[in-house]
Amino acid sequence: MTRDLWKHLILILGALVVIAPFYMMVSYSFKSPGEIDRGEGGFFGRQEMMVDERCVKLRDPNRDDVAAAAPRFPNQTDSQIRDALVAEAVADCQMRPIVFNYSKAFTEAPLLRYLLNGVIVTASIFLIQIVVALPAAYALAKLKFWGREAVFSLVLFCLLIPVHAIALPLYIMLAKVGLTNTYAALVVPWTISVFGIFLMRQFFMTVPDDLIDAARMDGMGEFAIVWRVMLPTAIPALLAFAIFSVVAHWNDYFWPRIVVTGNRDLFTPPLGLREFKGDGDGSFFGPMMATATVIVTPLIVAFLVAQRRFIEGITLSGMK
Amino acid sequence: MAVAETHTPVIVSAETAQCRTAWWLTAPALGLMVLILLVPVVIAGILSFTDYSLGNDTFNWVGAKNYERLFSRSTYEKMFIATFTYVVTVVPLSVGLGLGAALLINSLGRIGDLYKTIFFLPVMATLLAMAIAWEFMLHPSIGMVNHTLKMSCGTILEIIPFLKKGCGDRFPLWLGDRDYAIWVICFIGVWQGFGFNMVLYLAGLTGVHRELYHAAEIDGAKSGWERFRLVTWPALGPTTVFVVTISCIRAFQVFDTIEAFWPQGGGPNKSTYVMMFAIFEKGVQQNLIGIGSAITVLFLVFVMFLTLIQRWLVERKVHY
Repeated sequence: MTRDLWKHLILILGALVVIAPFYMMVSYSFKSPGEIDRGEGGFFGRQEMMVDERCVKLRDPNRDDVAAAAPRFPNQTDSQIRDALVAEAVADCQMRPIVFNYSKAFTEAPLLRYLLNGVIVTASIFLIQIVVALPAAYALAKLKFWGREAVFSLVLFCLLIPVHAIALPLYIMLAKVGLTNTYAALVVPWTISVFGIFLMRQFFMTVPDDLIDAARMDGMGEFAIVWRVMLPTAIPALLAFAIFSVVAHWNDYFWPRIVVTGNRDLFTPPLGLREFKGDGDGSFFGPMMATATVIVTPLIVAFLVAQRRFIEGITLSGMK
Repeated sequence: MAVAETHTPVIVSAETAQCRTAWWLTAPALGLMVLILLVPVVIAGILSFTDYSLGNDTFNWVGAKNYERLFSRSTYEKMFIATFTYVVTVVPLSVGLGLGAALLINSLGRIGDLYKTIFFLPVMATLLAMAIAWEFMLHPSIGMVNHTLKMSCGTILEIIPFLKKGCGDRFPLWLGDRDYAIWVICFIGVWQGFGFNMVLYLAGLTGVHRELYHAAEIDGAKSGWERFRLVTWPALGPTTVFVVTISCIRAFQVFDTIEAFWPQGGGPNKSTYVMMFAIFEKGVQQNLIGIGSAITVLFLVFVMFLTLIQRWLVERKVHY
């Protein structure tokens, strides 16, 4: 045990450095602007009531408001009524910093919309990848046809090309057909996963031929075999691939940054966060960190729940 | 002839039928591969010899001018320096730390899994969000990093020259300081990537046979270092080749952190002006497609060269 002590010391030190930004991100998302500025309040902050200045400013009473409120405050001068109304506004705009930060995260920018876009984009990418890759992988693994070797070498060659690297010509092509600033632009470059084809082919190679022959005997066509025989056998590999794909595209920032400009309705979560940072003034650290926390949390939670599968999926590319 | 005609058509048609379905199954993948991966590479190659801009109907051939510019202008010299500094720093460190963490965790048994989970967190997290968290950590006045450094002032730790200088004068601005900016980016790159390498190494370690260690011990390898040198390291050869290649390719593609910290211009004195950022800035933002394409082509050459070296190594030697 004492021999292991130094190992634990090193690993704990490493773990502290790894955790530090996560700790800070979550902690800032709980604290009030003052606590962030002064660097106090521990992890949760003191959660004292704070006043949302913008909210108060928005409710600043004008002449009509004062006139409308006059019946509620009989026998008082206009300025007294005004003061009372401001006091009311201040009281209504009080909230805990944690509520302030998270409610601002969702109201200052359409964060829900961004999250929804993220789900739409990652889900469509994954589904199309499967629809395209699975039949090809099956043909390459189990069917003998003229040109198979050529197709497979093409797959191996295309594995060399990272999509991010050819972003510029892809962007030009999309711009030429007028597809920038659409969902299609976010999805199209990722519809073909050469890696997915390669992976599924390797997997299908291990499926016994008898299974396929039996299906043919039953009168199944090749299309039916792909979707009703091969797909079910490939579920574990597909799950791993799904994790690989979803993590990559949920977190992707480079490609959305290129093809989506200005149109907030199409922002994916990282773009939304980036925009938040762009127009953030000093007091908005809390809501911004709340946004960051909201974006990072789904994958982290999923990872913690299904660790083994996630590690398998993310390191898929290591199983070549 | 008549006999042949009655017999062969059945066989031939069965085979051609299979051939035809196989092509139907691969056609979508094949088409997309060509359209999304190969055509853009060709387009980038062609456009790199022109002065094309989006929105112009025509363009001029400018020969190798774009490439000459890449190798003569100081901006691009900075680009190459930044990119290679990043790759040369991040790859060995993230591979080394990944291997170290894997060896330590592997020797600890089940308790080690906790560290594994923690070290893998940055791989899952949205890099852009974490970049923003790091930006707060590194904030010169309210950031956690300089706060922690300040705590060491007045203690024995002050004999370290760096701390002494910081305590006497001020601690670095980190992101605003051209001497530190690129190293901060490298640090975040290592922070984010070493967990991925660790997991690949852990998978590699499960493949090392116990008997090999016994054999080595019988042969006189007493110390842990000897056992590592004689058994573990050679057995991890294929993993290392893969880990180094994928780390290189990922390192070449660094973008998110740099765009998050310095949306304009690539850092103080362009010290973090990496290739992906240059492609984005020149090609997409400034619409200088020619020069952007030239950088894209160089980028592809680097990445393909690396992958080919990897494949060559895998086929040639590293199987033990």
